[in-house]
Amino acid sequence: MSCDDELTVKVDNISFSYGAKKTLCAKTLKGITIDAKRGQLIGIMGPNGCGKTTFMRCINKVLKPQEGAIYIDGKDLDRLKMMEVAKICANIPADVPDDFHLSVEEFVALGRYPFVTGIWWEGEKDVRLVREAMEAYHVTHLKDRKLAELSSGEKARVLLAKGAVQQPKILLADEPSAHLDLKFKLQVMQALKDLSRQGVTVITASHDINLIAKYADMVIIISDGGIISYGPPAEVITEEIIRAVYGVEVMLFKEKGEIFVIPLRPVDTGKGADADQRPCEKGIVAD
Amino acid sequence: MEGTKARRAKVKLAFILGFGSLSIVLLFLLSLTTGAMDISFQEAMSGLWNLIQNGGEHENTKELVLWQLRIPRALGVIAVGIGLSVAGAVMQALIRNPLVDPYITGVSSGAALGATLAGLAGVTVLGLTEYSLPIVAFIGAVGAFMFTMALAEAAGGRPISYVLGGVIVSIALQAGTTILMYFNADRLHGVLFWLFGSFASLNWDSVKIIVVVVGVLSLLMLLFAKEFNVILLGDEQARQLGMNAKGFKTVMFVMVSALAAVCVAFTGVIGFVGLIVPHLVRMLIGGDHRLLLPASMVLGANILLVADIVCKTVVAPSELPIGAIISIIGAPFFGYLMIRMGKEYVM
Repeated sequence: MSCDDELTVKVDNISFSYGAKKTLCAKTLKGITIDAKRGQLIGIMGPNGCGKTTFMRCINKVLKPQEGAIYIDGKDLDRLKMMEVAKICANIPADVPDDFHLSVEEFVALGRYPFVTGIWWEGEKDVRLVREAMEAYHVTHLKDRKLAELSSGEKARVLLAKGAVQQPKILLADEPSAHLDLKFKLQVMQALKDLSRQGVTVITASHDINLIAKYADMVIIISDGGIISYGPPAEVITEEIIRAVYGVEVMLFKEKGEIFVIPLRPVDTGKGADADQRPCEKGIVAD
Repeated sequence: MEGTKARRAKVKLAFILGFGSLSIVLLFLLSLTTGAMDISFQEAMSGLWNLIQNGGEHENTKELVLWQLRIPRALGVIAVGIGLSVAGAVMQALIRNPLVDPYITGVSSGAALGATLAGLAGVTVLGLTEYSLPIVAFIGAVGAFMFTMALAEAAGGRPISYVLGGVIVSIALQAGTTILMYFNADRLHGVLFWLFGSFASLNWDSVKIIVVVVGVLSLLMLLFAKEFNVILLGDEQARQLGMNAKGFKTVMFVMVSALAAVCVAFTGVIGFVGLIVPHLVRMLIGGDHRLLLPASMVLGANILLVADIVCKTVVAPSELPIGAIISIIGAPFFGYLMIRMGKEYVM
């Protein structure tokens, strides 16, 4: 198989809007079309409330687009059961549930849930994969610790381990590095990059333009629910687009093939400011 | 090294079930020797043996007391201890809030209003006067729980919504109970007994119902221990792991309300067990429901057996109300836990 050009996610002209009753935020996606190849790391950028999270929720079938279709490995997502989607597509949530005394090992093992065949216990293979994932993300020494006792950096590694143990073809990570310090931000993105090099299609949303520029193979810029630009970072991340989308004037320079963006000042385009005024990105009542 | 975690967990579980069950048996036997009539341990043993051999035919007064009062009562205590603890643990997982229990979610106050309606206002169901109190209490319990759930869901379904919903429903129902009691002050005794929580009125008929309902529902919930772990991640995460979160929660809410309701319907308001037992177990062995649920069962049965024995002995030949005793011990204990565990227990 020529894996390099294999298409894993094909998003065909989807449109989505939350019903008027479901939410206060009238957020929509309009005519989104994407082809994601196997092993690519795809970064999604855009201002708050632009539809990044909504888009990612459509890919793992939490939300159902009113128009268009999503194909995973050529299969219509609409026809897959949630359990089948769970075996293909993993999601790294923003945080861990820390009120319930779950240990790190128990939490990581939850990623095996779609594959566990027994009524109660995980099988030998599941146990082995959990152990390997904990080793790979350096959390083995934390395995009996409670989630509530972990630092942000440790939580981030535990979340990655839980995502990896699901052995997904597609990994979704919404703001995986949001609350981390510089070093952990880089480590998390590098971990996602490594997963993509192992053949996982990684789709991640982030507000950190520099991180996206450094690690992503392809960048999607979304604004007001539509795609403004889609392509390799070098083509997509430009002063003009950032100014138009975020309403911020930036200085952009390239060195050794890498792009660096330094924000200078907000400019009055009406655009970024408007988007920022919108309510909630998260916490929408999804059906 | 293969299977380390599962094996360790299984060893822990066997340990807990083994010692817990042994201690339940011992406390059960001890419970047979306590009460208004003086029955020694030896008499209780031989009486129990005779009763088993004769299939419940009693040969003397002591055997009659054992058979008609103490054995059903002790079995009822075990079943209610199991039922309330499992109900607490399950509600906490479903609502994703470790602060809820049958008491907080309105089950107890709904049952209390039902019991008062039956005991004081003479409300009956299908003309069944003999069992009207537990039946109306059951209906009140399930109704109040469903109302709390509906209120919380309408308010956005966040973990705190369920606590607030439960508080609102409880306050309203308690007001109804108070008014009924105010206008029937001369006939309070029978209902007070129930409101304070008591195992004294258990007989074989009611115990059979409690044991069967608690047994079936607890075992069904045990089968889904793995799913309770997943539901802790939240509905959306659970769906992304392939679980039908909505359907699971709906079915479990119905089952857990029936479980809690049958426990309080016959024995009255016994708070704190459903809240404290799962917390204690989480501190001891962690939050994995495959350990938490069975361990809560044995710990709940043990705690309630001890409390019942205390109630029967402290002011013998009279009795203390068990609901009040549990709360007297439970409230400061929980306060202590909150302070000691600091951040973990502050929502």
